Amino acid sequence: MKKLEIYEPAMCCSTGVCGVDVDPVLVQFVADLQWLSEQGVSVSRYNLSQEPQAFAANMDVVKEMEADMDRLPVLVVDGHVVSTGVYLSRQQLAQKLGLSQDLPVKTEATEGCKPGGGCC
Amino acid sequence: MALPEVNTRYLFFTGKGGVGKTSLSCATGIALADAGKHVLIVSTDPASNLDEVLAVNLTSTPVAIPGVPGLFALNIDPEASAKAYRERMVAPYRGILPVAAIQSMEEQFSGACTVEIAAFDEFSALIGTPEKTRDFDHVIFDTAPTGHTLRLLSLPSAWNGFIESSTGGASCLGPLAGLEQQRHLYAATVAQLADPKQTTVVLVSRVETASFREADRTCGELKDLNISNQVLAINGLFQAKIPGDTIADAMTQRAQQALAAMPDKLAALPRFVTAFMPKGLVGIAALRALSNPEAAEADLASEAAPLPELPSLHKLIDDLEAGGVGVIMTMGKGGVGKTTVAAAIATSLALRGHQVLLSTTDPAAHVAAAIETPVPGLSVSRIDPEVEIERYRQDIMTKAGANLDASAKAMLEEDLRSPCTEEIAVFRAFANTVAAGKQCFVVLDTAPTGHTILLLDAAEAYHREVLRVQGDIPEAVRQLLPRLRDPAFTRVIVTTLAEATPVHEAERLQQDLLRAGITPYAWVINQSLLASGTHDPQLAQRGHYEIPFIRKVAEQLSSRCALIPWLAEAPIGGKGLAQMTEVLQESL
Repeated sequence: MKKLEIYEPAMCCSTGVCGVDVDPVLVQFVADLQWLSEQGVSVSRYNLSQEPQAFAANMDVVKEMEADMDRLPVLVVDGHVVSTGVYLSRQQLAQKLGLSQDLPVKTEATEGCKPGGGCC
Repeated sequence: MALPEVNTRYLFFTGKGGVGKTSLSCATGIALADAGKHVLIVSTDPASNLDEVLAVNLTSTPVAIPGVPGLFALNIDPEASAKAYRERMVAPYRGILPVAAIQSMEEQFSGACTVEIAAFDEFSALIGTPEKTRDFDHVIFDTAPTGHTLRLLSLPSAWNGFIESSTGGASCLGPLAGLEQQRHLYAATVAQLADPKQTTVVLVSRVETASFREADRTCGELKDLNISNQVLAINGLFQAKIPGDTIADAMTQRAQQALAAMPDKLAALPRFVTAFMPKGLVGIAALRALSNPEAAEADLASEAAPLPELPSLHKLIDDLEAGGVGVIMTMGKGGVGKTTVAAAIATSLALRGHQVLLSTTDPAAHVAAAIETPVPGLSVSRIDPEVEIERYRQDIMTKAGANLDASAKAMLEEDLRSPCTEEIAVFRAFANTVAAGKQCFVVLDTAPTGHTILLLDAAEAYHREVLRVQGDIPEAVRQLLPRLRDPAFTRVIVTTLAEATPVHEAERLQQDLLRAGITPYAWVINQSLLASGTHDPQLAQRGHYEIPFIRKVAEQLSSRCALIPWLAEAPIGGKGLAQMTEVLQESL
């Protein structure tokens, strides 16, 4: 089973509703992670303020933070850092995890694919 | 006239700051102890003055109260608990994680939610583990958890899935996720609160329409959580003994009007009324007198106390006028008269020939009444918090809720009911109003708290530096913080009453503002009986008790301050408001 670990900055809320605007990237990311779980990927999400032990236990992540706190979030697939400083899109995640690119298309397609909808 | 009757082991006093929760808790505790019971009073209010009221130095373990056999008290500071928790969480990682990482962890533990949950944790430790309080017949709490905290802790999705797998997160629980082991304790506590055989919730209110409205809201919120064993304690009902004094007669009449207009839900509750206490409610003797008010009325001061030399509101407005256009904000807790002071300043500036925009969150009816006669140059706009919140909720649920499953949606919905969210929702309307201060005087009776300002600061930095996502922040919002921090553009007027809790709360507000880089311009002490010119013996006596608080504000807390008397004619309409600025000037 593929394993995705996400090391995130210390956040007040992961939905972003307590900021000046809800962050669509974060909310979408939550939905994307749910989708990954459904595809059989093991997903773990660590927030610096809540699970510092996970950060301390991963020297690669500590090194990234030492270089620059802006490197968070760090995404790790099967023990290898695959991206820093950005929340990947569903397609990028699928690619990093070696999932079939068709999958996101297929789920969307059941709802009907519209031009400009991003699925075709 | 009576204190609340006690039929349950647990008693919670709830209400806004300054309504008398601590005084009534203590008086009730004393009455029970005097009847032979063993009683423990617990304060978890960060602004607690339990020490002062009982004249004892309290700690986090029960201390016997001298002069009252059977009565014990303890004081828990949830801010200290939150701080201790933060230290427990962060300390093991010092030297292991980079310094910047440690700092960003620490920042997350300073929010209001963290303190709220820390307070609940303390409640639970006492209620959920009966052996801790087995020596007592009754346990009295001078504060109660808010509806938000209770809902959050009752929400199953707060506990399963989200926190464990960390694929989402309850914003307010997040920082204390380490308390997860406590979940059974919390569940037991919430159940205990809802058990009418175990727990009575006492809603404390002053005899004022605004205070009743607030109590009514809490009543409904608790009922929704099945906490139904509620009683109403009306604190400090004034009745003039000798008619003829303008101030005393007006006060008697206003109290009767407020009682007559009480919301239905409140009016249906069992009711206990305590009398206005001319000598205040500090010390055991004064608290015992609550059950026997006649005895307390001996030897009232016959003379009004001399008025400390303080500038009038009129003088303050001279200074504001000289400072030129910009934003003037009145800030303070509910019930201190922010709106009235804002309206008085706005009206006065307009009468002096300036263009003024008065913006308020107070219900439209009140504002219309406050300046019923049109004043040339003055325009009024209203920010309706309910409309703003609803708009924000819908906006987010449409934008974000569509892709989420039921439990994630429930979590997002609860996030949207947090006090932070309410402030954020009002915030955008606020930012737009502030932007108007470039052209004219803008007077606002509403401002985000220091915590919100800091949150925005953090949120902005977060968006800018960490996420590098699209800058979705409106221009007015981006400019807001620099504008609020510019003393030439924004002048904050802290509004308070000359009483213990309101002054204490205003002091905390000022500290929050300073943390956010905003220095208040002035303080206004509103509704002073001392300055009212009353000769009523009860009110004149009470006026004496204002002196130390007025001194504290004038000498320690503010660089500039003004005193407004309690007014016989309600400060409504152009004429009523003018009294606030003009009458006092004549009297000085």
